Amino acid sequence: MTEEKAHSPTHHSHSHQPESRIVMPGELLFDRPERISYAFIDGGKTYSTVVGLFSEGKLVPLEGPYEPLVDDLVVGLVTEVKFAGYSVDINTAYPAFLSSRETRERFEMGDTIFARITMIDEVRSIELGEARKLPAGRLVKVSSVKVPRIIGKKNSMLEMLSKQTGCEIYVGRNGYVWIAGKGNASLAEKAIRMIEVQAHTRGLTDRVAAFLKEEHGR
Amino acid sequence: MSQAESNKPKLLVDGKRIDGRATDELRPIRIVARVLNDADGSAYVEWGKNKVLAGVYGPSECIPRHDQSLYRSVVRCRYNMAPFSGAEEHGRSGPSRRSRELSKVIKEAFENVIISENFPRTQIEIFVEVLQSDGGTRCAAITAASVALADAGIPMKDLITAVAVGKIDGQMAIDLGKEEDNFGESDMPLAFSLRTGELLLFQMDGLLTREELQKGIAMAKAAAQKVHKLQVEAIRKVYEEPREERFLPVKGALEK
Amino acid sequence: METINEIKRDILSSLLSQGKRADGRGMFDYRQIAVHSAPLQNAEGSALATIGKTQVMAGIKFDVAAPFPDRPTEGVLSTSADLLPLASHLFETGPPGDDSIELARVVDRGIRSANVVDLNSFFIEDEKVLALYLDIYVLDHDGNLIDASTLAAMAALLSARMPKIEEGKIVRGEFTGKLPVKDKVVSCTFGKLGSRLFLDPSLDEEKGMDCRLTLSTTDSHLCAGQKGGWGAISERDLMEMVDISLQKGKELRRLL
Repeated sequence: MTEEKAHSPTHHSHSHQPESRIVMPGELLFDRPERISYAFIDGGKTYSTVVGLFSEGKLVPLEGPYEPLVDDLVVGLVTEVKFAGYSVDINTAYPAFLSSRETRERFEMGDTIFARITMIDEVRSIELGEARKLPAGRLVKVSSVKVPRIIGKKNSMLEMLSKQTGCEIYVGRNGYVWIAGKGNASLAEKAIRMIEVQAHTRGLTDRVAAFLKEEHGR
Repeated sequence: MSQAESNKPKLLVDGKRIDGRATDELRPIRIVARVLNDADGSAYVEWGKNKVLAGVYGPSECIPRHDQSLYRSVVRCRYNMAPFSGAEEHGRSGPSRRSRELSKVIKEAFENVIISENFPRTQIEIFVEVLQSDGGTRCAAITAASVALADAGIPMKDLITAVAVGKIDGQMAIDLGKEEDNFGESDMPLAFSLRTGELLLFQMDGLLTREELQKGIAMAKAAAQKVHKLQVEAIRKVYEEPREERFLPVKGALEK
Repeated sequence: METINEIKRDILSSLLSQGKRADGRGMFDYRQIAVHSAPLQNAEGSALATIGKTQVMAGIKFDVAAPFPDRPTEGVLSTSADLLPLASHLFETGPPGDDSIELARVVDRGIRSANVVDLNSFFIEDEKVLALYLDIYVLDHDGNLIDASTLAAMAALLSARMPKIEEGKIVRGEFTGKLPVKDKVVSCTFGKLGSRLFLDPSLDEEKGMDCRLTLSTTDSHLCAGQKGGWGAISERDLMEMVDISLQKGKELRRLL
């Protein structure tokens, strides 16, 4: 199976790649064994394990749980304050811990933080570092595989969202998006939902721009 | 043929069945993926008069902890019939012995395809609610659950596709309806991984010869190809016609 | 998860103090409501009601039962609610908990108080009456289950058909007409946080609010009420909610 996972799937690569196709779990990808992410080899052939976009020999899942990797920047919710640090919900089934030694700031239960994954051990317990508290705002949960689209090429989508809604938006690789600031948070949330549902389509940036402009004019 | 012969309707007349189908003909099937909001994946299946809803959660923290495996995700399944699902009396609440058995064999079928090693110490939960039953609910349930798992992005080696086959008036026929199941000579629900051609669920009751069994499996597998196509179409539609709202696409309803 | 409640509460109260809601609606606006009548055929009555992302199905089955000894000529009305595990990660598999019992009882109370169903018409013969089982099936939970359940229950009753009785038994699939329904009961549920009142709380709002208050109404009367949660309600608040319920009730009744 896929031991190594692509760190940041180039989600928009298909926009200039006409022969991309949606594949199903169990669908044949290659007549030969190819070690690629989200695929498996059986009888010398390579098959998909997920509903995904297959193009240029790469497979990008269209859905799926967040799979944490070291160095991911995540949005987390402090769920428990312990003697040695904090338990943090980062949208995985695995416990994430922020040691008190890793941070000078003190957090309370319910705080939202932005942090980096510093370590994942053999039983997948996660350690966080470089944490900072985020200002008051609202949480939007999206599928983590859509996160590259919400950020966009060189941050383009995220910058447009922030600019047009006047919000500070923190996008965690884990699919938690935090909308803060005095801007139009409802509009930002709507736009993010739109990106999530249409993440696999072309010309999305233009449609989101048009949507924001139209809503802004109201 | 130990059924009360006096009550038994004729199930095959000139090769046609009670509802007019041929022996190798499926009932009308409609599959819609992504119909629930909170579940990680979901699907709704209408299969003849059967109406089945599946929802999937996970991988999530495995509770209770002593059920955890260090090597894989624990797959759980609950198949349940709504108390108003049958054509006869009001059902009892809580799982029956039948529901518990079906939950078990459905779970075991999915354990074969779910790549559970990817998520040690977690659980993946499959919930199936039969809202209306008319014979063949477990096949509809597996078909729905398979789409719901794919919708949740749970990695699998294949979609599972289920079709039953049975014997009515001495002939093998696929996808028995309720009356055919009640008065037929044999019923054999099957679920396939069509990629490998292997059986992932096999149950059988009644009497069959070796030849009948073999013929039945071939008929069911041919029909499963058609059901698989509908499963794939349902999943593709989520992306080809993206929509933000998720709702149960009930039909024949007087909408206001 | 407790902590999410804490966060939501902060954000909620700052929004609500400005007279705003997270999804942009007014304080006394419902989310989008849809009622689908009779999506099922095996059940003698059924409906699907959605409020925003909340989806609730109601099914009705009739059985023959023994009357209660103190009311030998009256039929039986039995309401239950299932918070299905596929409807929310907050729901668990198992016997009904306090929340589902409260939900069923609040819906039942409105229907019973307003004499929506004439139980005297359910008499068959000595020791035999009709029992109407009303099952509320929560499929997707995004808050305000009570109003969605009341709508689904009422729509199911309005769609229900009276079974044909022969020799003290129900003839399944044959009917003598529609179930006579005397009145249309709807409920309005409010949330309260601090001093702010708001209609139709979403799940996010429910997690953060101090209490809720439900008022069920007919065209002319209040017919059931229920407060839930630790918060307190002033008489002034109550009267404001009474006025809004009576007025909003008319709009809801038009959906039935």
